[in-house]
Amino acid sequence: MTEAAHLALIHASIDGELDEHQRSELAGHLLANPDFRALRDGLREVCAALDGMVAVEPPQDLRAGILQGLPPMAEKPQQARRAMRWSAPLLRYAAIFAGALIAGTILYAARVGRGPDATEVSGTMAGSGARAPNVVDTVRLDLAQVGGQVSLYRADAGFGLELQLIASAPVDVLVASGEQTLRISGLGRPDSPDGARTTVALPGVGQHGQTVGLTFLVAGRKVGAATLTVPAGR
Amino acid sequence: MVRRCRDGDFKAFDQLVVRYQKPVFNAALRMLRNPEDARDVAQTVFLKVFEHLEQYDLNLKFYSWIYRITLNESINALGRLRPSEAISGNEIDQRPGLEQQVESQQMSRAIEQALTRIQPDHRAVIVLRHFLHLGYQDMGEILELPEKTVKSRLYTARQLLRDALLEDGVC
Repeated sequence: MTEAAHLALIHASIDGELDEHQRSELAGHLLANPDFRALRDGLREVCAALDGMVAVEPPQDLRAGILQGLPPMAEKPQQARRAMRWSAPLLRYAAIFAGALIAGTILYAARVGRGPDATEVSGTMAGSGARAPNVVDTVRLDLAQVGGQVSLYRADAGFGLELQLIASAPVDVLVASGEQTLRISGLGRPDSPDGARTTVALPGVGQHGQTVGLTFLVAGRKVGAATLTVPAGR
Repeated sequence: MVRRCRDGDFKAFDQLVVRYQKPVFNAALRMLRNPEDARDVAQTVFLKVFEHLEQYDLNLKFYSWIYRITLNESINALGRLRPSEAISGNEIDQRPGLEQQVESQQMSRAIEQALTRIQPDHRAVIVLRHFLHLGYQDMGEILELPEKTVKSRLYTARQLLRDALLEDGVC
């Protein structure tokens, strides 16, 4: 057996991976070779010291730092995936429906002839219903204790706030608009009921140039502030 | 837990951080020696995990994946650091509480110093085997190497570490 093979046996013995035959082979070589025995003892000592080194506790604020460092739009991948999951069947149904509609229109036109001019039916369509919120101003937060973003949006019912906060401790937000002040409590926790996103209506907000003041509190202490503005014009 | 994270569950991700922050931080610390650098690497690792969770193959062991990221990020950090920063001083030794956590202070300190003198590839196998206590199969998966190569590299790494300690008059 070569020297390298005997060395491999030493390491295997340290790892407790020798069978009976290998053990006796190594024992014989160690007996006949004091230098090799010294090498084995040295390696054993090093490995024992390595295995005996106790793991260090990470910094206490590491966890908070990690959570705060996550991207503010953290739930986006889920939404995107959910959309992907639904889009394929929906598109299939839409294609079937569109195909049936075209075929029906062709058949109808063939049997009845051309319908009235498009201008004759204008103004008969129903309203578009609830529109998607239209974000008019956004502030991104990169505070020591709070991350994320807050958006001011315009919807059919009026203006509102969308808060997406990430923090290691509950965050209270004071929302000041005009003479009104609203307090939203317990935001930013990973276990908050609505995940990281919260929306609130802001009645009374809507004048061009009107500002919405935001104050962020952690454990009752102010940790940051921001201002959103209703833009002039649409 | 990983599935829940992939579904955007922040609480699950927080649990993941709680479970893995210690081994990730320790692996980075053993690779880099400097606690501040280790902390930066740990933060980067979890951010990468978060960002790439969609690409993680659920059939693979999660810890293999996160430890692979940890080692890669540590090696990247070593490349960015000036040599004197990576091996300088007694920053760890001076931190209160740390020394109390090691059984043999002198030997641990000597090993920490000796580890910085061997190549990152060799340091990585020492970290996986002796600090994260992984088997050869897991090490092979993390390093994307055959088990035989992993063993060979570990044997060399131990030998180099012993040589470094001998130079310091420790062994």
